[in-house]
Amino acid sequence: MASASTMVESHRHRNAARGNRALIHAVVVLICAFTIFPFLWMLSTSFKQAGEVFTQDLRLLPHDPTLQNFPDAFGYFPVAQWFWNSFGIASITTAGKLLISVPAAFAFARLSFKGDKVLFAMVLATMIVPGIVTVVPNYILVSNLNWMNTWAGVIIPSLAGTAFFVFLLRQNVMTLPQDLIDAARIDGASTFKVLTQIVVPNIKPAIAVVVILSFLGMWNQYLWPLLILNDFEAKTLATGMQFFTANAESAQMWGPMMATAAIATLPPLFLYALAQRQIIDTFVTSGLKG
Amino acid sequence: MAVTSPDQSAGRQTQPIATKRAWTWYRLVEGMTPYLLIGPLLILIGVFIYWPLIYSSYLSFYDWNFVRPDKTFVGWDNFTRLPDDPRFIRALRGTLFYTVTLVPLQVFLPLGLALLLWPIRKSRAQTSYRIMLFSPTIIAYSVAAVMWLWIFNPLQGILNKALAEFGAERVNWLSDRNTAIWAIIIVATWKTLGFHMLLYLAALEGVPKDYVEAASLDGASNWQIMRSIRFPLITPTFFFVLVTTVISVNDDVFGAINVLTDGGPFDSTTNVIYYLYQQGFQFFQIGAASAVAVLVFAATSLLTWVQFRFIERHVHYG
Repeated sequence: MASASTMVESHRHRNAARGNRALIHAVVVLICAFTIFPFLWMLSTSFKQAGEVFTQDLRLLPHDPTLQNFPDAFGYFPVAQWFWNSFGIASITTAGKLLISVPAAFAFARLSFKGDKVLFAMVLATMIVPGIVTVVPNYILVSNLNWMNTWAGVIIPSLAGTAFFVFLLRQNVMTLPQDLIDAARIDGASTFKVLTQIVVPNIKPAIAVVVILSFLGMWNQYLWPLLILNDFEAKTLATGMQFFTANAESAQMWGPMMATAAIATLPPLFLYALAQRQIIDTFVTSGLKG
Repeated sequence: MAVTSPDQSAGRQTQPIATKRAWTWYRLVEGMTPYLLIGPLLILIGVFIYWPLIYSSYLSFYDWNFVRPDKTFVGWDNFTRLPDDPRFIRALRGTLFYTVTLVPLQVFLPLGLALLLWPIRKSRAQTSYRIMLFSPTIIAYSVAAVMWLWIFNPLQGILNKALAEFGAERVNWLSDRNTAIWAIIIVATWKTLGFHMLLYLAALEGVPKDYVEAASLDGASNWQIMRSIRFPLITPTFFFVLVTTVISVNDDVFGAINVLTDGGPFDSTTNVIYYLYQQGFQFFQIGAASAVAVLVFAATSLLTWVQFRFIERHVHYG
């Protein structure tokens, strides 16, 4: 009776819902195609021979694929050196940012000292200063220090950009139980010992996230290395690619250019695949609800 | 430690003094520890963020070109001359254009996409969707621009070839002053779509289940639940995305402008940020660049302040 009609009703509902779902999937797939196409097209071109680069049809899979574009790219420009510069600068800056932000985050989370609130506010305030605003004085400073075309010239000023990480790590330190720290205190541990032996081991996941985000940020950094690294050999991947764009009209160039772009995108994509959940969770929980 | 040892050897009676001294020493070290822990950070932000802000303000009152040994004091000239510079006016117009086009595209479009993905959040394809949608976010803007440079290429680019299939005429995407800015807007939209969508999805997931269950027991439809419960509860996220987009959108497109158009053709794709860069590092007008830096900083601070005031008053925190 009533139950039969409810069943029919719910059946009809389910069918409608299924139809809706199929439609939603179709739309989402189209949008995914838009976001992923430039990647596929880059990869496709990077495996094409010069003769196939300019074909009239949409040829995602090269008929006659080649790996030659990669050695060619390394031959035209010092791509290996650029890769090494990107990697070195990103790694050292990340290590430096950790060394600076972990102790500071701990101090702001767990220690009370004169001026702590004002100083923390001053640290947070740096987050709203757009990078472009400090570029001219920092350029003058770096050039006076003779740090042009050096890793130091890129790394050291970049170390100042850690406010977000301090904030993020501080949020994490604050979630540690007070008992944990009190227990160590009673055992006579100094503040420094509490930091290295209690706090750091307990915030490892947050530290991992900082490492990933910092590495990504530095790998992708553009404006500052563009200004500081002028020598051909000193460039990073993100800034060196402009040499390709200056010669962008010949078929011989597009393959190696896309091969270099592929090399530049692979480390970030790899890191992302490795830690997808953590990256998103961190952004969401710390960036928003904090 | 070194302080206590001579006293300790002196015998039992001096022990209280020794302990007291050790205590003082301990207090001294412990009292300084916080400052040692934050010291490196403070020095770095002092030297590379706060000092440059002050020095920029100073430079904005001078005429200088990086190389000349002395700077000429010109008062407010660097500021008052800006409205007379047609390039600055075009940069202002570009800034406004990027803001009014990209804010909806980077704030509402991802929201729509999140709402679209929400009903199918438990489907198995969801992880692949998220990876594909998020990928543009994590690569460099400049590399993204290089990928799009190839797509926009007028003669051999896949976009014009696709258009030709439909009988459309070839478009000089990057060298036509009517289309160049749209090319950059497409790249910028593409770049943030997935990231903002994920922020919205996470916020939707954070809505307490009891509220939703209570409403559906009372017979609320899916749409009603979305409109009256879910959406009000994700407004903090909505405003977060709005604020960060308004503040950073003109900064963010720098890499794309630099690689794709260098501000051209005829300054049609420039904005205030790019104008500052060109004044400083292509024309070496340090005073003018610094004046713009001061204005950009003031505008950013004001925007941040206004928006946070607004959010505190008007947003419902769940």
